[in-house]
This record gives sequence, C-alpha cells and structure tokens, in this order.
Amino acid sequence: MVLVKSQHSSVIYITLLFAILLMLVPLPDTLRYARPEWVAITLIYWAMALPQRVSIGVAWFTGLVMDVITGGVLGIHAFAYALVIYLVGRLHLQIRQYPLWQQAVTIFSLVFLVHFIVMFNAPISFVWTNWMTVLTSTIVWPLVYAALRKIRRSFQVS
Amino acid sequence: MLLAVVASVLLYFLDTRLDYFKPIRASLSTVVYPVQKLASMPDDLVIWFGELFQGHQQLREKIMTLEAQNLTNSVRMQKMQALESENMRLRELLGSSFRLQERVQVAELLSVDLDPFYQHVIIDKGESFGVYDGQPVLDSLGVMGQVAEVSQFSSRVVLLTDPSHSIPVQIVRNGLRAVVTGRGLGEALQMEFLPHNADVRVGDVLVTSGLGGRFPVGYPVGSVISVDFPQGKSFAEIAVAPAARLSTSREVMLVLPGEKIDFGITFPLQIEESELPALDEQPAIEEEIEEQPEGNN
Repeated sequence: MVLVKSQHSSVIYITLLFAILLMLVPLPDTLRYARPEWVAITLIYWAMALPQRVSIGVAWFTGLVMDVITGGVLGIHAFAYALVIYLVGRLHLQIRQYPLWQQAVTIFSLVFLVHFIVMFNAPISFVWTNWMTVLTSTIVWPLVYAALRKIRRSFQVS
Repeated sequence: MLLAVVASVLLYFLDTRLDYFKPIRASLSTVVYPVQKLASMPDDLVIWFGELFQGHQQLREKIMTLEAQNLTNSVRMQKMQALESENMRLRELLGSSFRLQERVQVAELLSVDLDPFYQHVIIDKGESFGVYDGQPVLDSLGVMGQVAEVSQFSSRVVLLTDPSHSIPVQIVRNGLRAVVTGRGLGEALQMEFLPHNADVRVGDVLVTSGLGGRFPVGYPVGSVISVDFPQGKSFAEIAVAPAARLSTSREVMLVLPGEKIDFGITFPLQIEESELPALDEQPAIEEEIEEQPEGNN
C-alpha cells in the first residue's frame, strides 16, 4: 500500500519536473518576459487539490531547485513559492469553490506575489513588459487546471 | 512556514554575503545540470535532424565554402604571423612586454532560457575542462562575457548585456578608455562616465583595454551606435552595440590566458616577460590602472 502511494505521488514530482523544463525551453527574446510561471501554477494546483501532499516543504524545495537553475540568489524562489503555497494551504477550501473568474483573480494575485518577490531582487528597472508573465500565467491557468485534473484523476493521485 | 522563511532568509544571506558558499552552489548546479541538459534536448534534436537530412549537394556546397574560407584565413594567418613576429621584435627593441595571442578552448551553449532578468547562459564545459571563475568568453566576432560560476560539467556565463556586468574598453581610433555596462535583455550597452567633451563618434569601434586584468587586450567589444549629450546631466549617454552575436552564437570560445602559442618560429631576441627590463613609465601606468573603476564583476 505504501509502495502504491509513493508511486502515485511521483506523478506530482513528474509534473513539477515538466513545469521546470517548460521554464527552461528556449523562447524568442520578445516572448521571454511573457513566459507563464509554470512551476508556480503547477504547485498552486497541487496544493489546492491535495494540500496534504504538496506542503510548504515541497514548494520550498522546488523553489530552491529553480534558484539554482536560473542562477538568481538562493532562497528567493524558495521563499516566494513557500509563501504562496502557505496561502493556498490556508485558502484551498475556498479556492476550490470559486467560479472560474474568481479563481483567475486568485491566481493572478498569487502569481503577482511570486513575481514581485522574484523581481524584488532582480537587477533590472521596473518596466511593464516584465509583468507580462502574471497575465499569461492567469490565461493558461484554466488549461493547466484541466490538464492536471485529468492527470490526477487518471492516475488516481490522492 | 516559519521554518521555510527562516531557511530562505538564511540562504539568502549566506549566498549574498559569504564567499565560501560558492562551492556549495557549484555542487548544486552540478546536480541540476541533467535537468538543463534535458530542457535543451528538443532544440538539439531539431539541429541534429536538420544535419541528418541535409542533402548531398548542400553538404558539398558547405564544404566548398568552408574550404575557400579556410584558404583565405590561412593566407591571412601567414601574414599575421609575419606581422606578429615583427611587432614582437619592435616591442622588444622598445623594451616593453607583449603577450602573444591567447589560446582558446571551444565550448557549446546549452539551449536553455534562464531568468530573463539576468543575462546568463550555460555552457557545456565545466571544472573538468579547466574552466575557472572570471574566464573571458568570446565568439567569432567579439567578447561575449565572462564565466561567473563553475560547476563540474557546466558553467554559467554572464553576458555583456547583464546589468551587473561591466567591461573596461578602449576606442580604437584614439585610445580613449572607458567602461561599458550592460542594460539588460534586448537593450544596447552603455558607455559610462564620459564627460560631454569626450571624443566619441558614432561608429567608433571599441576593444578590450586589458585593464582590470580579466579580459585580454584587443578583442572587439562593440561599436558606438548613438552619442547624446543630455542637458543637465554630468555624463554623456553613449549607446554601444555588442560585436558578438550574443543571442545567436552556439559555439563560444574560452580564453586561456598567460599561455603563448608557439608558431614554430624562433626569434633571435626571444626574452621571457619576466626578464624584460622594467620601463620608466611603468609606475605611471599602474597609477592609471588604479584610477580605472573596477570593471569586472
């Protein structure tokens, strides 16, 4: 039983890995600021659906991996993801009940929070194009939500 | 949550304030290298397939052009060698030291996008190939940047366009020295701290000045694309277009400094650098170096 369970939670880690890969795949320069925060929204989905599985610890560790990969200062992504997942953990019962547009608003503010923390340390001036990622993350959210729900149901991750 | 916050803050301070945290970071980078390699796979595959299905005719043409290029290059090289030895002799007559061409090592970029706020790229050579921190990185047209972090199999290179990167340069036309700083993704470089009366024109070619000791002398950095003297500001605003193809180059060259290429030609007057008599002007030059703001970061 334990074996079966751990096998199923590996689905979570595979989707997270896939999200990290999506963050790294090369895009043309003009689109780079518009890349959705794949990792953040994947984490948010899992924390919302299975809060007992994706805890602050998982989020923090994923953030650390992102820090190392992107080459920023260690701890920034880790802190941002942990904070957001903490909020989702507190609010997950409400978020689940929200209609789609309200969910989108929630995602918008959460990704905004992540991006704000990450940007806070970036050596770059504030330009509105830098915030495109918040918008695109909100736009792809329904797709990610549907896809991950499909994955969760077909693999019966619980 | 508290634990995560404490751990993040701790990591943040360890990473930004303490230098000895670097090896830990480097080993973490080694661990995530497979992920980066995996992410660059689709792009690599596309290129690989492109090469696989290239027609016979195309390949022949490619070889023809490359051979022609090689011929002209080697002819030019012969002339270079003669000029270089002449230059060397003249400099020895003057009693000044001169370093011959540096040796380079070829590395390949991983096609991976990192944080767009930092202008970093990953190359596929690391500590196991002798890459070291601060090593200059070039492409075939000019300076690209320098190595910022070395892990076992890969290294992180800071490009010229990174806002935290500066490089000491010199204008070829008149020898004016300055510092060129990055402005971020898609922006031109900026030539900093030059007064309004500085002799800079559009089209001036900039090369590395070698001050600061990181970059070897005389590699092209870029050319001036606009010069502006804004009223009420103490410095001129000079935009510089980088010479290297920062966003399209796949092969980069790592400079191994301090090593001389032996062309198989011996000069009657070959003297080691250390044996050369010191110039009278030497102290003055050193003073100038100290005045120069630290360009490397």
